[in-house]
Amino acid sequence: MPEKKKKKATTLPGYVVRNRASWTVSNAEYTAGSAHDSWAAKRITWGVWKVPEDEIKVLPDVRGLDVIELGCGTAYFGAWLKKRGARRVVGVDITPAQLATAREMNTEFGLELEFIEANAEAVPLPSASFDLAFSEYGASIWCDPYLWIPEAARLLRPGGELLFMRNSTLEILCSPDDAVVGEKLIRPQKGMHHNTWQDEEGGGKSTVFHISGSEQFKLLRDTGFEVTDFREIFAPVNAVDHPYYKWTPVEWARKWPNEEIWRARKR
Amino acid sequence: MPEQALPDYALRNRAKWTVSNARYTAGRARESWAKDVHWGVWHVPEADVQALPDVSGLDVIELGCGTAYFGAWLKRRGARRVVGVDITPAQLATAREMNLEFGLGLEFIEANAENVPLPAASFDLAFSEYGASIWCDPYLWIAEAARLLRRGGQLMFLRGSTLQVLCSPDVGNVGTALVRPQKGMRRFDWTDDEDGPSTDFHISGSEMFQLLLKTGFDVVDFREIFAPEAAVDHPYYSYLPAEWAKRWPGEEIWRARKR
Repeated sequence: MPEKKKKKATTLPGYVVRNRASWTVSNAEYTAGSAHDSWAAKRITWGVWKVPEDEIKVLPDVRGLDVIELGCGTAYFGAWLKKRGARRVVGVDITPAQLATAREMNTEFGLELEFIEANAEAVPLPSASFDLAFSEYGASIWCDPYLWIPEAARLLRPGGELLFMRNSTLEILCSPDDAVVGEKLIRPQKGMHHNTWQDEEGGGKSTVFHISGSEQFKLLRDTGFEVTDFREIFAPVNAVDHPYYKWTPVEWARKWPNEEIWRARKR
Repeated sequence: MPEQALPDYALRNRAKWTVSNARYTAGRARESWAKDVHWGVWHVPEADVQALPDVSGLDVIELGCGTAYFGAWLKRRGARRVVGVDITPAQLATAREMNLEFGLGLEFIEANAENVPLPAASFDLAFSEYGASIWCDPYLWIAEAARLLRRGGQLMFLRGSTLQVLCSPDVGNVGTALVRPQKGMRRFDWTDDEDGPSTDFHISGSEMFQLLLKTGFDVVDFREIFAPEAAVDHPYYSYLPAEWAKRWPGEEIWRARKR
């Protein structure tokens, strides 16, 4: 396969290498251990507060759809979509440790997902081969939006949908380099694109991308999408601080949305 | 429209805008009418933003028109008919004076933009720049705009950004602290205005998106407006410091198409 050979020769960008190292640590610290519970969950939930899908109702009917999860991690969301009737679910991730967990769960749960180790900005799959491109805190924050969104557009069939969750712009504006999210604007929104963070315990660094709502809207329009939904997610009243993703205090997220969901349809 | 039909906030806002008209907008109207299209307190030129659709031949309604400078610009750009709706007689008096002076043939109606005495499906573009978009209840005026528009017609409005509202204290200018929760935001009663107490409305971006979907619109554009690098504090709308608005968007523009 000449295409595969070409991809291998391409060096991964620095942030991908950095994020892979960070996720290798996070896999050992948290996600490998929580994967079984996540895959087994009866309800689909969103984000760090596990807001139930049956309350927010943002997913399309996935029955019979070909789905690609971009930055799948341990692929629990892909598993949920397969259980809901997706015809085919392909998970793409750059971190071998995360994919190893995903494959283990896949065997255990017998859901027959497919996995590819690849950067979601350059997926070695043919164009127009999916009905739904999906990311929950995957490519949606770890990849450059100006690369992964056009790649999602390429992978989708006309009329196909893109659905992703990311941090809210407000959370990024209120995120210091060295402390949890606060109640003050400490970063300009003008020109925002990415930021490299010092990881809490692993000691490494990771790079997260975020463009503002209006830039995200324009990028989607420019890459051939109609924006069909936009949601902001608050912590529910009964939520408590997340045991691992501690950067957003639950009290903050009850007042302000720390996550947002975008849905768009390819023209 | 009968006096008793106006909600409390419309009466309060009319009193405030009567004062603001005498103190600022009446004196500014001629210069504003004479200009070309620009947006918001920083006067960002439409040539830079490129948010307006082609208005040639369109029937346009401006909801909360004030002195109607924006309606005048749209008429000059080729709109077939421009109707300005406002609840403040003093603002409409200025608008009518300018209309005579510039000979643009706008029409005006004194009415609350939440309840406009005009037939359904009679416009191609419903428009508001800091009009109904902030002074009226979005759950009323957006539905009313949907009623007034023909199928395929467009709704376009500029309002303060959600971020600006979150950072607006009861007293004083916009700052960098989040002083209000976004959860449940809708109506704001202000007393720290020299021109008198007022009430404005703001719902979050996602609530606005849902409201537009539910009232029969598809959202086709969303812009956030920063102050240009050369901007200085606005002489009258001074609550929004230019230095803040160079870092964070103080205003946003929405455009939606009626299905």
